[in-house]
Amino acid sequence: MTQQKLTSQFLDVTYVNNKTGDEIVALKNINLSIEDGEFICIVGPSGCGKTTFLNTVMGFIKPSNGTILLDDTKIEGPGRDRSMVFQSPNLLPWRSVLDNVMYGIELQKRVSKETKALALQYIELVGLKGFEKSYPHELSGGMQQRVNLARALSVEPSLLLLDEPFSALDAQTREFMQKELLRIWSQTRKTSIFITHQIDEAVYLADRVFVFGARPGHLVEDIKIELERPRELKVKRDARFTEYVDRIWDLIEKESSKQGFS
Amino acid sequence: MSKEEAIPMKNETSEQKKVNRPKKISKSQKNFMISVVSVLAFLIFWEIISYLQIINPLFISSPIGIIQAAGILFTDVSFWTNIRVSAYEFAVGFLLAIIIGIPMGIFAGWNHTFNSIINPFVSALYVTPKVALLPIIIIAFGIGVASKIVIVFLMAFFPIVMSATKAMSTLDQNLIKTARSFTATEFQIFKTIALPSTVPFLLNGIRLGLGQGLIAIVVGEMYASTAGIGYQLTNAGQNLKTAEMFVGVIVIAGTGVVLTGLVGLIEKRFSSWKPE
Ligand SMILES: Nc1ncnc2c1ncn2[C@@H]1O[C@H](COP(=O)(O)OP(=O)(O)OP(=O)(O)O)[C@@H](O)[C@H]1O
Ligand SMILES: [Mg+2]
Repeated sequence: MTQQKLTSQFLDVTYVNNKTGDEIVALKNINLSIEDGEFICIVGPSGCGKTTFLNTVMGFIKPSNGTILLDDTKIEGPGRDRSMVFQSPNLLPWRSVLDNVMYGIELQKRVSKETKALALQYIELVGLKGFEKSYPHELSGGMQQRVNLARALSVEPSLLLLDEPFSALDAQTREFMQKELLRIWSQTRKTSIFITHQIDEAVYLADRVFVFGARPGHLVEDIKIELERPRELKVKRDARFTEYVDRIWDLIEKESSKQGFS
Repeated sequence: MSKEEAIPMKNETSEQKKVNRPKKISKSQKNFMISVVSVLAFLIFWEIISYLQIINPLFISSPIGIIQAAGILFTDVSFWTNIRVSAYEFAVGFLLAIIIGIPMGIFAGWNHTFNSIINPFVSALYVTPKVALLPIIIIAFGIGVASKIVIVFLMAFFPIVMSATKAMSTLDQNLIKTARSFTATEFQIFKTIALPSTVPFLLNGIRLGLGQGLIAIVVGEMYASTAGIGYQLTNAGQNLKTAEMFVGVIVIAGTGVVLTGLVGLIEKRFSSWKPE
C-alpha cells in the first residue's frame, strides 16, 4: 500500500455568524485520504464547501470536529509544508516577477543563493523565462497566474492547494494553462488538490475526482480517472473522457436539485 | 506588439521588448512648452494692463515693478530674517506633523481599538477651520515663533493622519491572505504589504499638509507676529507697497511649488513600477 499523504477523518466545519450567532455547517463528516503524488480535483455545486475544505487543509480554519493529518501530523495552522494558488493572482504590484516568486521564500525566512536559484528555476518551469524583471501589470492574466503558481511551487511544499486558479481566464488560455499545469506537475509530482467548477478540467487533470454535495457539504463520490498519462488535450474527445464527464455531471445535477435550484 | 497580448511560449525571448520608436518631441516636452508660453503671455498681459493704467498699478503692481522690488528686498537683511523665521516655524511644525501624524494614522488603521479612541477627535478637528483657534493659540503660546509652530502643526497634522489611516483601510485582504498562507507574521505583513501600499496615500497626505501648513504660516503671522514672511507681506500690503507684497506672495508660492515638486519626485521614486 502506498503512503497516505493527507487524511481527513470525521471532519466537520461550522461557521458561526458573528452578529447573529447562527451556525452554518459547511462541511459534515468528510472522510477521505490522498496518496503521495496524487493529483486530486474537487468539484461540486457552488457553496458546497470546496473552498472551506481547502482553507481547512491550509490551516486557515479550525475544524469543529475531526482532524486532518498531513504526513501523519495534525494540521493546526498554516505551515511551510503547504502552499496555495489562489483564484486571483494576488501579486504584489510593486514587485517584479522574480521578487514576487521570492515572496513566499522571503516570508519563510529562507532567502539564500540556493532558494533564489530555485525561484529562477520555477520561473523557467512555468514558462516565464525572460520576464523576471517585469512587473505584474505588464503581464497578461494567464502570465500572472503562472507567477502565482511559481511562487507557490518555489517554497517546495509537500502539498499544493489550488482554488479555481484558472477560472478568471478566457477559454483558450485556460485550456493552454491546463496543459501547462500537467506538464509542470509531471516534472514535480507534487501532491495537489485542485478545485474547479469545470468538470472537463477536473477529468483532464485528476487522478481522482472528489464530487462534493451541499447542505451540508459532504463527499458524494470519489471517482478514479483511469486515463493514461501524459495526457494530450485531445484526450478530451476520447469516449472514456466523455463518460467520466457525463457521470460527474449527473452526480452534480442530482446534488444541485436537492438544493432546490436546477 | 505588447507583451500583454502574448501567451508566452517556453522560449519566448525578450526581443519583443526592444521596439525602437522614431524620435519625436515627447508629449511632456510639448506640454511644458505650452505652459511656458501661457505664463509668459500672462506676464506680458499683466505688464500692459498696469502700464496703460487700465487697472490702478497701486493694486496690481506689475511684473517689472515686482522684479525691481525683489532686487531691493533681496539685499535687505530684514527680509532674510523674515524668511528664516518663517522657514523655521514651518519646518518645525510640519516635521512634527509628519513624525507624529504618520505613525499615529498608520497605527489607527492597523488597530481598531486605537482608531475608536482617536477617530472622534481627528474627524471633528479635521473639518474644524484651525485658524479659528488662532486667538487662543496666540494667548497660550504668545505672538512669537511658538504659536506659529502650533498652528502649522495643527493644520498639517490632520490631513496627514487621515490619509495614513485611510491608506491602511484600503489594504488588499487577498494579499494579506496570501502572505498568511506563507506563514507570515503580523510584522512581515506590515512591512511587506501595509507599508508599501500606503506610500502613495502618505505622500498625498503630506502634499495636502504642505498646502495647509503654508496657509497656516501666512495667516498666523498676519494675525499677530513681529517677524516672518507673512508679517512682511501684511506690512507691505498695508503700506500700499504692492510690489513688495507680491514678492512675499511669490516667495510663498514658490516654496509651495518646490516642496510639492519634491513630494512628486519621491512619489515617482516609489512608483517606478506603475503603468504610465
Ligand atoms: N467566512 C464565512 N462565514 C460564514 N459562512 C461562510 C463563510 N465562508 C463560507 N461560508 C458558507 O459555507 C458554505 C461553503 O462555502 P464555500 O466557500 O466553501 O463554498 P464553495 O464550494 O467554495 O463555493 P464556490 O464554488 O461558490 O466557490 C456556504 O454556504 C457559505 O455560505
Ligand atoms: Mg470556492
